[in-house]
Amino acid sequence: MPKKDAPPLQGELLQGTLDLLILQTLVLGAAHGHTIAHVIEHRSEDVLQVEHGSLYPALHRLENRGWIASFWGTSENNRKARYYRLTRIGRKALSEQASRWDELVRAINRVLRPASE
Amino acid sequence: MGWTRFFRRRAWDEERARELDAYLQMETEENIARGMTPEEARYAARRKLGNRTLIREEIYRMNTIGLLETVWQDVKYAARVLRKSPGFTLFAVAILSLGIAANTSIFSIADAVLLRPLPYRDAGRLVMVWEDASTYGFPQNTPAPGNFSDWKARNHVFEDTAASAFATLNLTGDDTPEQLNGVSVSANLFPVLGTSPALGRDFHSEDNNPGAAPVAILSHGLWLRRFGANPEVIGRELLLNDRKYAVVGVMPAAFIFPDRATEIWVPWQFTKEKLNDHGSHFLAVVARLKAGTSLESANAELATIAKQIEREHPDDNAKVGAFAVPLREYVAGDIRLAILVLSGAVCFVLLIACANVASLLLARATGKRREVAMRLTLGASRLRIAFQMLTESFLLAVLAGSLGLVLSVWGTQFLAALVPTGIAPLGGAGVDRRVLFFNVGVSMGTGILFGLLPALRISSLNLANSLKNGGGRGSVGAGGQRLRNMLVVSEVALAIVLLAGAALMIRSFVNLVHLDPGFRADHVLVLRTPIQMQKYDTQARRTAFYDRILEKVEHLPGVITAGYTTWIPLTNEGGATGITIEGHPEPAPGQTPIPNVRIVSRNYMKALRMKLVEGRLIDEHDGYGTQLIALINETMARNFWPGQNTLGKRFKRGGFPEKSPWITIVGIVGDVHQAGLDRPARAEMYLPYEQHDFFPPDYLAVRTSGDPMLVVEPVRQQVWSIDKQQPVAETMPLEQLVGENLAPKRMQASLLGAFAGLALLLASLGIYAVLSFAVTQRTQEIGVRMALGAHSRDVLRMVFSHGLRLFLMGAGFGLAAALALSRTLGHLLYGVSANDPLSFVGVMVVLGAVTLLACYIPARRAMRVDPLAALRYE
Repeated sequence: MPKKDAPPLQGELLQGTLDLLILQTLVLGAAHGHTIAHVIEHRSEDVLQVEHGSLYPALHRLENRGWIASFWGTSENNRKARYYRLTRIGRKALSEQASRWDELVRAINRVLRPASE
Repeated sequence: MGWTRFFRRRAWDEERARELDAYLQMETEENIARGMTPEEARYAARRKLGNRTLIREEIYRMNTIGLLETVWQDVKYAARVLRKSPGFTLFAVAILSLGIAANTSIFSIADAVLLRPLPYRDAGRLVMVWEDASTYGFPQNTPAPGNFSDWKARNHVFEDTAASAFATLNLTGDDTPEQLNGVSVSANLFPVLGTSPALGRDFHSEDNNPGAAPVAILSHGLWLRRFGANPEVIGRELLLNDRKYAVVGVMPAAFIFPDRATEIWVPWQFTKEKLNDHGSHFLAVVARLKAGTSLESANAELATIAKQIEREHPDDNAKVGAFAVPLREYVAGDIRLAILVLSGAVCFVLLIACANVASLLLARATGKRREVAMRLTLGASRLRIAFQMLTESFLLAVLAGSLGLVLSVWGTQFLAALVPTGIAPLGGAGVDRRVLFFNVGVSMGTGILFGLLPALRISSLNLANSLKNGGGRGSVGAGGQRLRNMLVVSEVALAIVLLAGAALMIRSFVNLVHLDPGFRADHVLVLRTPIQMQKYDTQARRTAFYDRILEKVEHLPGVITAGYTTWIPLTNEGGATGITIEGHPEPAPGQTPIPNVRIVSRNYMKALRMKLVEGRLIDEHDGYGTQLIALINETMARNFWPGQNTLGKRFKRGGFPEKSPWITIVGIVGDVHQAGLDRPARAEMYLPYEQHDFFPPDYLAVRTSGDPMLVVEPVRQQVWSIDKQQPVAETMPLEQLVGENLAPKRMQASLLGAFAGLALLLASLGIYAVLSFAVTQRTQEIGVRMALGAHSRDVLRMVFSHGLRLFLMGAGFGLAAALALSRTLGHLLYGVSANDPLSFVGVMVVLGAVTLLACYIPARRAMRVDPLAALRYE
């Protein structure tokens, strides 16, 4: 577990991880870009700082893949905002990606802490 | 999503921009809520988001497809370049579209006549079967019924074999009497062809039995014309040749057999004897090859059967062979070669146009050297630059192709009208999908052809030299000039080939027009009054019928004289009978003389203004029961009595031991081209109809003092005043028949002439462009030379020698190619040899003169170069 005072891991997200985080965020319901970024930051207790510059291209990429879909809606404070929601294939992709991630984490852990657990 | 996002990326980009704006606003508001001033809040939000443009660009790039983007850029660039030089663009598009239009038009005709499937099922397996009676002067002879029966019974190569014979059917009864172009057929004709009536029933095999109730099937055209497309025509009775025929069917509109003139089919009712007649040859036989059987094996088998028939019937089948030709060849006939030649010609025209445009592009590329060198230095890939040049060529080609397509719609109509009606394309020619594909293919091919050379040249530019030389002026790449010279040489060579071909065709045509056909076609009206055998059943009655008509017609005002004949010239290639010559030994099998025979009235020779060479014409004393007489033509006299005085010589009709009476020759007349203007006359004899009428004289020739068409109505009325049931058909001036006979040659000569003219124009433009460019490029050099004391004469000589060198090289190649290719014109030529020196020399002179003209303008410009001005450019 990272310590509270550790510096945020800005810009060091593993490639493909941002996609996974976005998809996970959308499991709870549709959200616009701003919310997605905030949710990721809050839930990672500010360890993961989403670089907003890469958020939007990532959203676009996911939409092109058909994993998420977008629509224009009204935000909490009555503004027009573009909302994203998870599609059916997106949901499937998320569970695949998540289990791949788990595998990866376990593998890395096995390397880092051999036989200690 | 997919590739379509490429086209929506602009709209998308706008959406992204709005989305990012929304983000900024939200972030700003939050920042304000955290206690920042609005100004600070906005900055902080912007900082957090990063570079907006970069984000948008990244997303934008995600939506582009690399290659497509490049191509689109190139197209836009090329369009700009072409718009900037409208003169060049117009010229290039104009000549290319002419070339493409000519190709597309000729292709659509060729497609309709030669390529498109015939309107019969599995038409590739249909063949026509003919007798080979070359020994008697009929290399493709109409088979005898007996031979047909034997082929049909003995072969193992055909699924089935059917036959038809022309039958003139006089339709009489309630409406105007009319002569129908009919055929009497074996009942299996339609199944062999793989068609059946659109309305009613097909023939049954019993319909062929003698004594069966006569039935008929109508053509779609006749059904429309005479019966107003009334479906109740089925079962109706027609009076044909005074016999009642029940209409049992109507054929589909597209059905044609054996030719497009055929309006009605009736089953023949041949007796057993008739079906075994091996002596009279008058059928057209069509057969369907068994699946997998080749034409060669069919021909081998036919030859074997013909040998058997020859052994069994030596008297009338000696040296008669048999062979099959694909139905397609039979239908396309003579026009096949003409179309192939014209296709070659238009292909040449397009090649010349390509060479011209390529040469222009090369010249333009020279001007672009600096620009290209700069781009190469800045890191552009050579492939990319070559691609860009090719795009420009393609754009030109596409423009030219579209314009060419429009032109070809018109061109095809024009050509289709020129094709003689007898062989006009089945189902008509028009611009359809196949033609469209061809057009697109040709346009693309053209683009590559003329664009590749300049593209390759410019992309292989030597960087250092081009930049050092400052590009453009004074630095003619020697290679570039050499390439352009080569292009002009090939243009000249191609033009020579075309011009030579056109010259030969035009000379052939002129030969034909000036040929003496043995008769004078002007002021002659032709009509056909087919005799009704049932009504005029004795020779005396028939003679009286002809006599009365001639008597009445000759007394009409405006009529000089009139005569009957069995076949007016150019209407029948055959019409022959075997003879035995007095004092000659019995001829070997196959050596029996078979001259043409025409049965005529007294004044027929006068009506046609035929030439009397010796002796006398038929006169009023040559009647029934007097001494049998004949006139013969010069060829017959020469062939059968060489070097003898022919007058008073005798022969008789039929084979050697024949008991028929002797016929005495009383006159010799000039040869008449019966089978076609370009076909030599056969031996021919003329017999008075009072003495013989084994062939009925149906054609009436009327010589008039004025316009022959003016007497059509009076003549018809006279005929109907004698017999109001008498059909009168094929009414036309004899000149029209001659014109129709000349039409294919006229078409070939005029089209080839037009293409050659186009080639000449393009080639001279090519020479002009290259010289003119060379002069511009050498302005400084010329200026320096003149400053150093060169005369304008020397400058003139320089330009002219350059032009003449190009011409002579091109002429050398062109002559060699023309000599080799003119042989393929084959039978399209008449009275001129394929390497006629006059034509070739004439072509060289014409092209030489045009070359000099093309040299003159640039040369004059070169002479006027002001040395000072030229040097100042340095």
